Amino acid sequence: MNSTMGKILTVDLSKGLIRTRVTPKEWIELYTGQKGLATRLLMEDLDPSVDPLSAENRLVLATSIMAGTIVSCSAKLAVAAKSPQTGTISDGSVGGHIGAELKYAGYDGVTITGRAKNLQYLYIDPDRVELRDAGQLKGLGAFASETKIKQMIGDDQVKILTIGPAGENLVRFACICSEHYRQLGRGGLGAVMGSKNLKAIAIRGWLDVRVADIEKCMAVAAEAHARDNILDPENDMYVYGTPVLVDMAQESGLLPTRNFQIGRFEGSKRINGETLKALRKNKKACFSCGIACGNYVQVNGSTVEGPEFETIAICGSNIANGDPKLLIELNALCDDMGMDTISTGGVLACMMEMTEKGIHDFGIRFGDTPKAIEMVRQIAHLQGVGKDAALGTLALAKKHGAPQLAMQIKGMELPGYDPRGSWGMGLAYATAPRGGCHMTTYPVALEAWGNLDPFTFEGKAELISTGQNAQFAKFSMGICDFWPIESKTLGKLFEATYGGSWPEEKVNLTGERIFNLQRMFNVMAGFTGKDDRLPPRFHEEKLTEGPPEGIEMTEQAFTATLKEYYDLRGWDEQGRPTVETLSRLGIEEELIERYRKSLK
Amino acid sequence: MPLRLKLSDCTGCQLCQLACSAVHEGAFNPEKARLTIIHEYTEEGIHIASKHCIFCKKCEEACPVGAISNNGRWMIVDHQICIGCGDCVRACPKDVIYLNENRKSIICDLCGGSPKCVKWCPKSVITLKEKAS
Repeated sequence: MNSTMGKILTVDLSKGLIRTRVTPKEWIELYTGQKGLATRLLMEDLDPSVDPLSAENRLVLATSIMAGTIVSCSAKLAVAAKSPQTGTISDGSVGGHIGAELKYAGYDGVTITGRAKNLQYLYIDPDRVELRDAGQLKGLGAFASETKIKQMIGDDQVKILTIGPAGENLVRFACICSEHYRQLGRGGLGAVMGSKNLKAIAIRGWLDVRVADIEKCMAVAAEAHARDNILDPENDMYVYGTPVLVDMAQESGLLPTRNFQIGRFEGSKRINGETLKALRKNKKACFSCGIACGNYVQVNGSTVEGPEFETIAICGSNIANGDPKLLIELNALCDDMGMDTISTGGVLACMMEMTEKGIHDFGIRFGDTPKAIEMVRQIAHLQGVGKDAALGTLALAKKHGAPQLAMQIKGMELPGYDPRGSWGMGLAYATAPRGGCHMTTYPVALEAWGNLDPFTFEGKAELISTGQNAQFAKFSMGICDFWPIESKTLGKLFEATYGGSWPEEKVNLTGERIFNLQRMFNVMAGFTGKDDRLPPRFHEEKLTEGPPEGIEMTEQAFTATLKEYYDLRGWDEQGRPTVETLSRLGIEEELIERYRKSLK
Repeated sequence: MPLRLKLSDCTGCQLCQLACSAVHEGAFNPEKARLTIIHEYTEEGIHIASKHCIFCKKCEEACPVGAISNNGRWMIVDHQICIGCGDCVRACPKDVIYLNENRKSIICDLCGGSPKCVKWCPKSVITLKEKAS
């Protein structure tokens, strides 16, 4: 198969067994790679009702057909597991080099099961795959962990995924860190690594990636890059990176502020694109990426790639932190401890609101960022109230009788767009397989910053479902979110790398298939339509500034749209894909049969 | 006529290496490129370094069989003559020469005067120096 390495690595940590298997061609045809392949690998003989922190849960890595090629924005690696934060399927992706490196090492994917007896790391190169002792890495922050692994291996070009203390301590929103400055943030996959006693995965490769037609691949890639301004030095993602969104969100009145109580932040100018650009040291790209969105900033000895918009919103305005230096310090600490900045900020904001409302005094209030930074350490090390906070916003707020103050969906804290300012985004959040996530589709660009009315659900069910399908295809085929590529172009690139015929409809159908596959997992894990809900605040309280001022997004309107969405997707009234729908999408009979049995 | 890299503008994407290996080796493999972008990870961020041919001609001097020559603009290796001894690899002060699977010396030939690394660099970091220094 063109542009695959033909092999998947399987590792059983309990038995110390390492095997390889052939990459099934039908999986590439049906699910293509990355997100899709990771989902399929995860679902193979895994019981979706498994305890996410048990040895039975599986951690899956998957690369893509485009990874390792000259196609821009293609090096991202997908990692998936059942999430200890939500209980849903959860996959995320990380940039840098590691997605391409895994391919150069000879593998399309890796599945890891079991639990090692002692802390270990996995080393992968084309000649050797070994489980090695990681006792020396215990408790190390992500940065020190990587540095130490490179010393131990004696190769400073090895690419690494590692967890920090938060992952070792099973903080439910622990992330996986890579190449010092990049994170696979969401869903608590770092805690899954921690539960397996797996501190890190180190990868080094030097094999060829061979595509269907290399001249065609280069020509199609060059044409697509040029047409979509990927290499344009004026591209906002290069000039500013994601912080460009701060002013836009503020203007649109949807910048989460003070735990989503309001949608504008008085200190937004101090944490916007211009301010952060002034603090920037340099720009760096992921492997093969012509855009180079990465901003490297440094203050008081803390260096981060970022802060990215989501971090600015949730660890900035959402905790009323208008100090860019403290924001960077907080970001750097989360990166080193190995904690998702979005969920961390969400937890902090919830604690602040509970404190200010007299529900429980956590000793942190909005705007008191130094104390918030101290709380991050307590969470990572499970000290004091940090131990409760490490379970996530929903568990913490429930414990204190205030679940309505947890700004989360399915247990995952919300990112940087108040859905009252972009109703389609609310529907996207509610239906995202991994919980409160902005990555399944991005209607905010059309609603708040485009020509669509943000304050209606009319037409949104179709907008969101088709958008999600296209996005799932894009990720699975291997392209980063920051290339707003059309499915037609995606198909052409896939034809040149993998081969065959991939018209737009087939690309979108592939995305729809993968979206439904993830929904199947969640249904089998016990989720229903009742879980596709927004926190009550978004229906009960109106925003008071900017375009959304005074507009009510009723729960009734939302649930009616949800039903319309289920109908469009071919799901029943409880949000479960019907067997007919799954058959239409070409999902394998064996999986459908397992799913059908689980419904009884 | 060596390449000039303005590393302060380099984002480290390595599209140059991918283009190089694609054009010369028919595969995507940065390890087989004739120039290398190196990421040095430090606590102060990622520092980029590079390795590329500076047209010093030390390989030509070192070659015991006269397989390496130059045309005043780039190096030329005659694989019919090359014996795969590796003397050029050891003589290269920039560590950019390697022996391929057939033990033949691989040296940057500027793609015959129109380097693909220059063409593919998204930030115009790589240019051709008109005169050898």
